[in-house]
Amino acid sequence: MTIERLSPGSGLQPYAPPERWDDYVEYDPKQWPKRVEKRYSLVPTICFNCEAACGLLAFVDQETMEVRKFEGNPLHPASRGRNCAKGPATINQIQDPERILYPLKRAGKRGEGKWKRVTWDEVLDEIGGRIRKALLEGRRNEVMYHVGRPGHERTMDRVLKAWGIDGHNSHTNVCSGAARLGYALWSGYDRPSPDHANARFILLLSAHLEAGHYFNPHAQRILEGKQRGAKLAVFDPRLSNTASMADYWLPTYPGSEAAVLLAMANVLLDEGLADLDYVERWTNWRELPPEGEGAGGGTEPTFASFLAALRARYARYTPAFAEAESGVPAARIVEVARQIGAARGAFAAHVWRGAASGNLGGWQVARALQLLSVLTASVGTQGGTSPHAWNKYKPTFWEEPPGQKEWNELLFPREWPLSHYEMSFLLPHLLKEGRGKLDTYFTRVYNPVWTNPDGMTWMEVLSDEALVGLHAALTPTWNETAAFADFVLPMGHAGERHDIQSQETQSGRWVSFRQPVLRAARERRGETFRHTWEANPGEVWEEDELWIELSWRIDPDGSMGIRRWFESPYAPGEKLTVHDYYRWIFENSVPGLPEAAAKEGLAPLDYMRRYGAFLIESGAYGLQHKAVPVSGSAERDPASGVVRDGGKVVGVEIEGEVVAGFPTPSRKLEIYSRTLSDWGWEGEALPGYIRSHVARSEMDAEKGEMVLVPTFRLPTLIHTRSGNAKYLNEISHRNPVWIHTRDAERLGIASGALVRISTEIGYFVNDAWVTESIAPGVVACSHHLGRWRLHEGEGSRWSTVPVRFDRQADGSMLLRQLGTIEPFESADPDSSRIWWSDGGVHQNLAFPVHPDPISGMHCWHQKVVVGPAEAGDRYGDVSVDPAKSMAVYRSWKEKTRPAPGPGGLRRPLWLDRPLRPADEMFKI
Amino acid sequence: MNYGFLIDNTRCIGCHACSVACKVEHEVPLGVARTWVKYIEKGAFPDTRRTFTVTRCNHCSDAPCVEICPTSALYKRHDGIVDFDPGRCIGCKACMQGCPYDAIYIDPQTETAAKCNFCAHKVEVGLTPPCVTVCPTQAIVAGDLDDPASSLVQILGRKPVQVRKPEKGTGPKVFYVEADAASLVPAAAPPPSDYMWAQAPQPPSALPLTEEAGAPRRTWGVKEQHRNSWGWKVSAYLWTKSIAAGAFLIPALGAILDPERSVGAGPVLLALFFLALTSGLLIGDLRQPRRFLWTLTKPQWRSWLTRGSYVLAGYGGLLTLQLALRLGPLRSEALAGHRGLLALTALFATGAAVYTAFLFGQAKGRDLWQSSLLAPHLVLQALAAGAALTSPRALLWLLPVDALLIAAEVWGRHPTEDGRRAAKLVKSGPWLLQGVLGLGHLVPFLLLLLAFRAPGAAGAGGFGVLASAFALGGLLLWEHLFVWAPQQVPNA
Repeated sequence: MTIERLSPGSGLQPYAPPERWDDYVEYDPKQWPKRVEKRYSLVPTICFNCEAACGLLAFVDQETMEVRKFEGNPLHPASRGRNCAKGPATINQIQDPERILYPLKRAGKRGEGKWKRVTWDEVLDEIGGRIRKALLEGRRNEVMYHVGRPGHERTMDRVLKAWGIDGHNSHTNVCSGAARLGYALWSGYDRPSPDHANARFILLLSAHLEAGHYFNPHAQRILEGKQRGAKLAVFDPRLSNTASMADYWLPTYPGSEAAVLLAMANVLLDEGLADLDYVERWTNWRELPPEGEGAGGGTEPTFASFLAALRARYARYTPAFAEAESGVPAARIVEVARQIGAARGAFAAHVWRGAASGNLGGWQVARALQLLSVLTASVGTQGGTSPHAWNKYKPTFWEEPPGQKEWNELLFPREWPLSHYEMSFLLPHLLKEGRGKLDTYFTRVYNPVWTNPDGMTWMEVLSDEALVGLHAALTPTWNETAAFADFVLPMGHAGERHDIQSQETQSGRWVSFRQPVLRAARERRGETFRHTWEANPGEVWEEDELWIELSWRIDPDGSMGIRRWFESPYAPGEKLTVHDYYRWIFENSVPGLPEAAAKEGLAPLDYMRRYGAFLIESGAYGLQHKAVPVSGSAERDPASGVVRDGGKVVGVEIEGEVVAGFPTPSRKLEIYSRTLSDWGWEGEALPGYIRSHVARSEMDAEKGEMVLVPTFRLPTLIHTRSGNAKYLNEISHRNPVWIHTRDAERLGIASGALVRISTEIGYFVNDAWVTESIAPGVVACSHHLGRWRLHEGEGSRWSTVPVRFDRQADGSMLLRQLGTIEPFESADPDSSRIWWSDGGVHQNLAFPVHPDPISGMHCWHQKVVVGPAEAGDRYGDVSVDPAKSMAVYRSWKEKTRPAPGPGGLRRPLWLDRPLRPADEMFKI
Repeated sequence: MNYGFLIDNTRCIGCHACSVACKVEHEVPLGVARTWVKYIEKGAFPDTRRTFTVTRCNHCSDAPCVEICPTSALYKRHDGIVDFDPGRCIGCKACMQGCPYDAIYIDPQTETAAKCNFCAHKVEVGLTPPCVTVCPTQAIVAGDLDDPASSLVQILGRKPVQVRKPEKGTGPKVFYVEADAASLVPAAAPPPSDYMWAQAPQPPSALPLTEEAGAPRRTWGVKEQHRNSWGWKVSAYLWTKSIAAGAFLIPALGAILDPERSVGAGPVLLALFFLALTSGLLIGDLRQPRRFLWTLTKPQWRSWLTRGSYVLAGYGGLLTLQLALRLGPLRSEALAGHRGLLALTALFATGAAVYTAFLFGQAKGRDLWQSSLLAPHLVLQALAAGAALTSPRALLWLLPVDALLIAAEVWGRHPTEDGRRAAKLVKSGPWLLQGVLGLGHLVPFLLLLLAFRAPGAAGAGGFGVLASAFALGGLLLWEHLFVWAPQQVPNA
């Protein structure tokens, strides 16, 4: 039998045409060159490895009704049918013989490693009953949902608000919290959306050609920009793949980045490369207090006086100063600055984690970077950097519960009033300090024991039933944290559940639809399902249905006012189904979708089920210029131009016209943050340079101190949730410590030799990777690797090694690897072919917490002492003194300037907050 | 139609999406790869750069793997794709010696050869291979070189490109834009003992690594499937085959030249025994030993493995006939002494000895084997081996000539860098000088001198036996060095 060619001649198309997706025929490559036809249903869904939400297309074998593979979804506006290695590897995760297929309940003590299979009914009854009791007893802050990888857009906020709890915790402050604060202080928007494809100059303080927020969509567009002639510069002390692709690699010493950026700003100002008209028009320069006591008192500030003041404040950031701080030659800094200036209007820049997340004061790196975007008039322009909200879709619902009347100080303690996100990584420390306790604690695709700093304290607190009454781990695969749960609840992988995803990957807005592909394929054949788990492997649930079911069990008769939020908008009183939930959103909340669907004769939901994605608009630029209609009673503040209508700020007057501006108090880009000044940080109110805790000046060369960069990611892995993908682990499975040739020589370390890396609270032992690809004085160790399991069955054998914890005579705890990665027998013959034995070393365990006093971000970089391994050291050893880790926590806490701020507030009202409570809760 | 690939190194970001998409499409087992991304780092800080080179079958227009494959398991399609059929493969691994690019592996599930087949099953219906489809930066282009409108041809017209090892004359059809020289030349950065985020899947090759900081260094790679894919069985096969040929050739030549002499049953039995051993080794080295007869029943006539099989079979048949004429019911002194039949058998013996030179010549991946001396050398080795067992005296002139040939193979001029590298490996260590030449040539030569200088020595006596043993040992060691060394030179 032969299949007809898609097009005549020899031309090749990348994708199966969508009109054939219902019944698509391909030759079976396994039987080739025999021409054996295979019939598939092609079902679009969304990747769940990184946060980019790239489109996938599942090939569901019509004969076996199993997923054969995932390719890209060509109709997805961001990923455009292309994926990184983690996209196709999704099939490994689905077929992983080590995955969790049924709900488990602990059968021994917590953390003892004994489990029994239970039914979902038991799970829902027990957890629902507990939450009901807690809510009825007014213990609303004792229920917490802690999310690692967020999935369903806005759904969780809705659930938690419906429950009336301030119970949303996230991973953000070990991730992007610092950069977010820096961006938010400028514009009210906490994420950048660089328009790489149209840029003339791209500056990355990141590694977007291999990792990071929106790796694949951004890599596509960075390369597009480059092919069109854009130049690329990368700050990174380590030669990332991205840096290697750059026209300019600036190996900045960790923590020095803001100094380099401010030196570049100085070059722009000094050489007339800055767009001063733009700065005058669009920044709140008037708010910068005049220099010196009484200076300019009474006189109206002028732009000239502002510029003079600004240049005076920045005078010290010369290229020579930046060279001294960063190690990057001044001439190179000047050269890049001039190129940035020449790209005026089309300068795309990005920092997300990296420097912002590594350093004390890292949030200022984002402030300083955005200063370059402002000076080059590249905010929100074609080829510039837009606020994320212009390029991101958020769904609305038929009914939204009001903001909760709670403020949970385990999430937003008073010490960090400006923390952009929850102080998530301090949860165990706050619990240990007696600031509260948890009745029911959900972790969702979240592995703090392994990923967060000071995992030992996490283990201690998670093991304490007085502090954590019940821990339910929602996860598709085993992880170190799930081992300390009471329930391990299997949730779906990428193509095993529903949700809506949209990210600011480009200049445009799109929405994409994740769906459980087996359920969708079988529904195409006319089958019906009440729950997704009925079509998924085993009893793998999806969160949407879990929350609906759980909410009904918390409030079975509706008397608590919770159930009503989980009733169908189409059939009041009836339990909401995922079908109705997404049907309503697609029918009512996605601009243009109903019309596009109608053109194809489809209902909006069916359109999304068929194609998986929809482009709402493209090329959203200059939205701050959007005219705002105002009533006659609108008031304009004569100094700032801010326009109030009906008591609310609605816009700002720019050159005689009332426009939307930015969601900041001044409605402009805030070069001067009065908020910071008002909340006790006057010295940091301008974009500035805070010397990092790992700045060169902090290092004692005599003691052999160096800075450890522990955060770099690999193109093939994603945190700890790709450990079950065999093809990814085959490519990357160890994380040796990168050290420069000269440092290695000085310390007498050969490549491959064992080294001991000592932190403030302990040490870890790893192999050295001696290389020219890292700045001297810096060592780096990649994320992802060094996974372990305490008991057999509690970790994927593709990526974890058995370990034991032992208390040492000095009170410290020693983690020791008891074995290696080994081949094992399973349904997948590949498991017996595992050829690597090294699973890496768990470095994060040896890190104390470093909460930034302003952003609340954990400052990841570590001051370490590097040396050859000592007698008795073994590969993979990690030693930690828990007492020291609490002491380090307290010393960082002392740097804070606690609430209340002006007006007796816990937090500035204008700054957003995840799961924003009712406004009155901001007041202490 | 003539399909080819273009890899644009100004776009490739080294993300491994292509290799994973390929593994998923073909369910490629762990440990082997059809395409992979080689990482090379070079330059001293801060001028360090990492380059990425997507590596795979070149779908050569003159594919050595197709030529050497004895059963047409590898074949060229009408559209220029070099495809394979696991159902025809006997697992002889000759293709892995033929391919100069380390593109072929033995699939551990099927125990047959496999490689990138351009996803012919997709191309045939008009779809790009998944490695092309998945690539985030569109760094991989697949297209028809015969179609001037294809984007492949358009880019080739616009940009200068390189191919891997053009000097091999294979006509590779994977073209690289801005390829890095140190990445294209496999031995510029041989496989080391570990990688930046993976273990090395095998010990480093015997090639020395450059220790100098900033020198090209391979920082990510996969297992070299071609390294020593022919192991001791192949070395031993060369040796047993020499004996099988020589044991008959020496007395037969004597008998042909001198009518007074004849060939007894002994040498014929000896030759048959070693020929059986040779076949056993050959079959034992197949990954599909049960398919060994396919070299005869599904012949691909250009392959010297096929031709050699027929030569061996013919030689075996003639030897059996010779034996039958000397022992058993068909015994016939006239026919046993028939010079025409003796000459025919001797011709097949020579063929059996020499065909491997042409087989090795088809092994385009092994530069050391591309030696014009190999054919005469194999004949001489057969004579030496035969002499060692049947008339050691002849070793007095055979051993010096063999030593000269060995010296010429090793110290002679090698046209390629990889040939020199392999020769250097042969020379390194004690194996060649002390082993092959010392113990294997000089010692037996001196022993024989002693044996035959002795007044009235009719036979070689104890010294002769000892000399023969040393000479045979030397021959075996040489075969092993010669088979092993070029397989240590990386091909990718």
